[in-house]
Order: sequence, then C-alpha cells, then structure tokens
Amino acid sequence: MTAPAVETKDLVKVFERGRRTIWQRLRREPDRRERFSAVDGIDLRVETGEIFGLLGPNGAGKTTTMKMLATLLIPTSGSIRVLGIDPLERPRDVRARLGAMLSGERSLYWKLTARENLEYFAALYHVSPNQTRARIERALAAVNLSDRADDYVERYSTGMRQRLALARALLPDPPLVILDEPTVGLDPQASRDLRDRVRELRAQGRTVLLTTHYMEEADQLCDRVAIIDHGRIVALDTPAALKRTIRAEEVVHLELGIDGDDRTVLEHLGRMATVARSERTNGTLAVTAHCASARDFVPAAFDAARSAGATIRHVEVVPVTLEDVFLSLTGRALRE
Amino acid sequence: MTLLVADLRAFVAAVRKELRQVRRYPTLLLSILFWPVLLPTAWVLMGRAYSGNDPQALEAFAQRAGSPQVAGFVFVGYAMYMWLSTLLWGPGTALRTEQVRGSLEAVFLTPASRLVPLFGPGAANILPASLNFVVMGVALWLLFGFVPTFQATLWTLVIIVLGVPAMYAIGALFAASVLRFGEVGPVVQLVRGIFVLACGITFPVAMLPGWAQVSAWLLPPTYIVEDIRRVLLQGAGPADVTEHVILVLAMAVITAAAAAMVFRALETSARRTGMLSRF
Ligand SMILES: Nc1ncnc2c1ncn2[C@@H]1O[C@H](COP(=O)(O)OP(=O)(O)OP(=O)(O)O)[C@@H](O)[C@H]1O
Ligand SMILES: [Mg+2]
Repeated sequence: MTAPAVETKDLVKVFERGRRTIWQRLRREPDRRERFSAVDGIDLRVETGEIFGLLGPNGAGKTTTMKMLATLLIPTSGSIRVLGIDPLERPRDVRARLGAMLSGERSLYWKLTARENLEYFAALYHVSPNQTRARIERALAAVNLSDRADDYVERYSTGMRQRLALARALLPDPPLVILDEPTVGLDPQASRDLRDRVRELRAQGRTVLLTTHYMEEADQLCDRVAIIDHGRIVALDTPAALKRTIRAEEVVHLELGIDGDDRTVLEHLGRMATVARSERTNGTLAVTAHCASARDFVPAAFDAARSAGATIRHVEVVPVTLEDVFLSLTGRALRE
Repeated sequence: MTLLVADLRAFVAAVRKELRQVRRYPTLLLSILFWPVLLPTAWVLMGRAYSGNDPQALEAFAQRAGSPQVAGFVFVGYAMYMWLSTLLWGPGTALRTEQVRGSLEAVFLTPASRLVPLFGPGAANILPASLNFVVMGVALWLLFGFVPTFQATLWTLVIIVLGVPAMYAIGALFAASVLRFGEVGPVVQLVRGIFVLACGITFPVAMLPGWAQVSAWLLPPTYIVEDIRRVLLQGAGPADVTEHVILVLAMAVITAAAAAMVFRALETSARRTGMLSRF
C-alpha cells in the first residue's frame, strides 16, 4: 500500500494577533498579544489520484494549512506527511516533489516573458538542463499558453497569469499539486478553463489538493471536499454525500415584506420546511428554507405569509448546494 | 555534489533573470552616465573655488590626502560611492520587490538554496557598477586631463576586482536587512550617508575625529578607496596594499556570512510568524 499523498494529524498553527513594539521588548514587558489558532487540529488524508478540496469562508485557515504543507510555515504542533515525507525534517525533499501555486499571478516576473519566467524557476527546481526545454514546453502546453510563451507577462490577462503560475507549479513534474484559490479573481470563462486544466492534472495521474471559497467549484471539481471553518474540519465527504446530509431535495429562497413581528410567519414556515436561515432588514425578511418539494411548499408559504400579514415579494427555488451544507453546519453563509 | 551543481545552475539562472530585468529598465543606464560625472565634478569645482589654486592651500590638501591631485582624489572617492549606491539600491530593491509581490515566496517553494535569491541580484549589479568606473575614468581624463600610468591603472583594476566580494557582500547584507525594515529608500540614504562620512569619499579620513576614524577602518570601502588612491595618485606598488587587500577579502567572508545568517534568521522567523510577505 502506498502512502497517502497528504496526511496530517492534529495539525495546529497558532498566530499572534496585534503587535509587540520594540519599546515593549526592550522593557521586557510581558507579551500581551492575543494568541489564536488559525488552524485548530486538522486531520486530513488525501489519497493518491484524487482532487481534494478545502472549502471554507475567509479566514477559515485554508491558506495557513497549505503553507504548512508547502514548508512555508512551521506548524505549532501536529504532524504532516507530504508524499510520505515529513516537511519539517526534509523540507528540500518536499519542495522538490511538490507543485504549489499559492500566491498566483502576482508572484511572477512581469518584465520577463512566460518562457523566461519558467526558465528561471526550472533552474530553481533543479530540473536538469537537458530536460528543461521539454519540461517547459509540457508545462506551457498543459495550461494552453504555448503560443503566447514569448510575450511579456505584463501583457497577459489575469487568467493567463494564473495559468502561468500553474505551469510553474508543474515544472518539477510533481505527483502532488496544491493550489490555493486557483480561480480567485477570474471571470467565469477563465475559471472554467482553469478547472479543466486541473481535471487534466488528475487524468495524468497527479493528486490535486486545492482550496476555494466557491461552493460551485468544490462541487463540480472535487472528488472529496473538507468543509473547514475556524480552523477545524466540520464535514468531509464527496460533494454528493455532503449534500445528502441535508434532508431536503430543494432549497427555497423567499423574500417577504413584513411590518410587524416576524415570529409568527417563521413559525408557520418552520412547520412545513426547515428554516436554515432568516435575516431581517427593516421591512424585509429573507428566508432560506430546505424542503422536500418546492411545489408543495411554495403555495403553502404564500398562505402562511398572508395569514401572518406578510407578503411574499420574491421566490427562488434552487437545488441543494454545498452552501446549504455549510449553512446547516455553521449557521452562517459562506460569503458574508 | 550534484546538489551543489544544481544550485550553481540556479544561481546562474538568477543572475540571468536579474540582468534581463535590469536591461528592461533603460532609465537605469542614464543614471550610470549622468551622476558619476556630475556629482564629483561639482565637488572638484567647489574645492577649486575654496583654494583659488593657491599653492599653500593645495599643499595643505596634499598633506592630508597624500597627493595634490584634487580631481583624482574626489573621483576615486565618488567611484566608490557610486559602486556602493548601486550595490545598496540594486539587491535591496530587488529582494524587497520580490518580497512584496510574492515572488520571494514562490522562490522559497523551490528546493534551491536560499543563497541563490540572496546573492543573485547583487551579481547582476556588478556589470552596471563597472560601467561606472569606465565612465568616470573617461570623465577624469576629458574634464581634468588626468591620465594615470598604465601600471597604476592595472593595479587599480586588481584592487577593484579583489574588492568586489566585499562590496557584493555589503549589498547582500543590506538586502537581507531591508526585508526586516520594509522600506528600501530611507535605509539606503542612511547607510549611504554613513559610508560617505566614514569612508573618505570626498575628504580624507584623517579629517574625522579619532573614534570615527577607528570605525572607518572597520568598513571595507575605506580600504578600497585608500588603496586605489595610493596606487593611482601616489604611485604606490602592489606590495604597499597587499595587507589591506587581504583584510578586505577577510571582511568579505565575514560580511557574506552575516548576510546569509540574517537572511536565514528572517526565513525561519517568517516560517514561524507567517510574515514573509506582510509587513
Ligand atoms: N501571519 C499571520 N499572522 C497572524 N495571523 C494570521 C497570519 N496569517 C493568517 N492569519 C490569520 O489566520 C486566520 C486564517 O487565515 P488564512 O489565510 O489561513 O485563511 P483562509 O482560509 O486562507 O482565508 P481566505 O479565504 O481569506 O484566503 C485569519 O484570521 C488570518 O487573519
Ligand atoms: Mg487564503
């Protein structure tokens, strides 16, 4: 049996919030910085050949986790194995085998061409000179940039730069690729394109671990997803299985106009479906309800609203998404 | 062994990358032609205005500077100043830019030795710095009619070449420290100012108070400037400067080791606090 591509046990990273001034240091004042766990006991096991996603809101600890895997951060406690290697003991061995794209497009040299960028990094990755050319061509082809390879990166679009950053991660011909928010800031077309590239990586037999805060991305792209919040994994399974944990077939978003108390109407609605979330802003009440059938629920909801003196202004029926899973697990929306 | 070879190749690639980038900022070349001539000329003219070419004043200068060649004296000092400037701005700015935009992090993701990003940018600045010397030599000849003997020129070149490691190490040490301070500009001005005062750039070190003279002789540029002046202006031979040259080489080793240590400490601290890219 081969080792899993990534394995972490009880991984913790504690950061300090606030700052300690030189003055405080000189006077040896006690350190009053608040300590908090950005990553708070994560157990992960990413199997060879899968696309594994870490899905979570801003500040959940995704980037911190990735940086620990990539040897950029030293964990406070816990253990890590990347391709069976301990990054604390043999960081250079991990770096030589890992393709990591963490900071994306900004981390390229804009005054150089794509090819010149890759030549530099190929040398840093210790690719042997007689392989360098082929390796670069392959990396460029893998991200569809072969025909623009000799353009300056400053003339690239954001999506192209992001793809070039991915090509750079492919230079060591890595069995494992880790991507931190690979599609952030890209338009839908470019995102789709990048996701296709990631699927190709899996088809080539590589393991991919990525982070995202787009639930569609996790849903469409990943074989398995770990939902992470406040540095902890709150759920981990295939997207389909995660969605099944919500006992509902459909999700209904309602927008109600209401003047008085909203307790009655919520109570009525709660009898017919699970109210996952409700938010009141002045005269408007937004409700997300999980139900077995929207065809039964929606007409009943109109009746319930009328009897409580409210009017339904807007109805939207959508299938269950990972967003709803996150909502039901944490009581919060992914993007707030 | 293969690891060393691979790292050497990475180093060459880093220098090449740096040169490519420098080449694409052509305004840099303008500054190589302009400042090295303008600044020292202003000082020489100032000196002439003060002395009024009075033999007594010139004698006083020769006494302290070891040679009556005012223009030669100032130009040698300024050559050092320009060289230092290039080595402070170049690697410091390069490393800081990499840090801010995140490419330093990308470099840290690779198995290459950390000495590569630390010393790579400096190497790229040696070429423009040596252009400085040529430009200043020509200006000295055209403006002030100063032509050194072939021998003196040769020994000057030897001193410069042997001084490269020390100057280079200063650049690297500065660059590594800049990562901690954040801003390059003000720190360059400060450090450069200290060197101007301490290393006898525009006036003889003998003019400094005693304690400052002691610290001046702890800085490699002081020796290099002094030695170049000796061979170029005072007709000294190689034997007269050997001791200094060895001292400067030793200082280079110490400075380079310090630079590597600062850089390493910074990386370790960044790996603990995660502050590599945010200051
Ligand atoms: N170097 C650091 N020092 C102190 N706190 C940090 C540091 N890096 C991250 N944090 C904090 O740790 C928490 C987790 O950050 P992290 O970047 O891992 O989140 P994330 O899940 O990647 O979020 P995002 O979606 O915004 O990228 C945040 O509260 C962040 O402010
Ligand atoms: Mg992040």
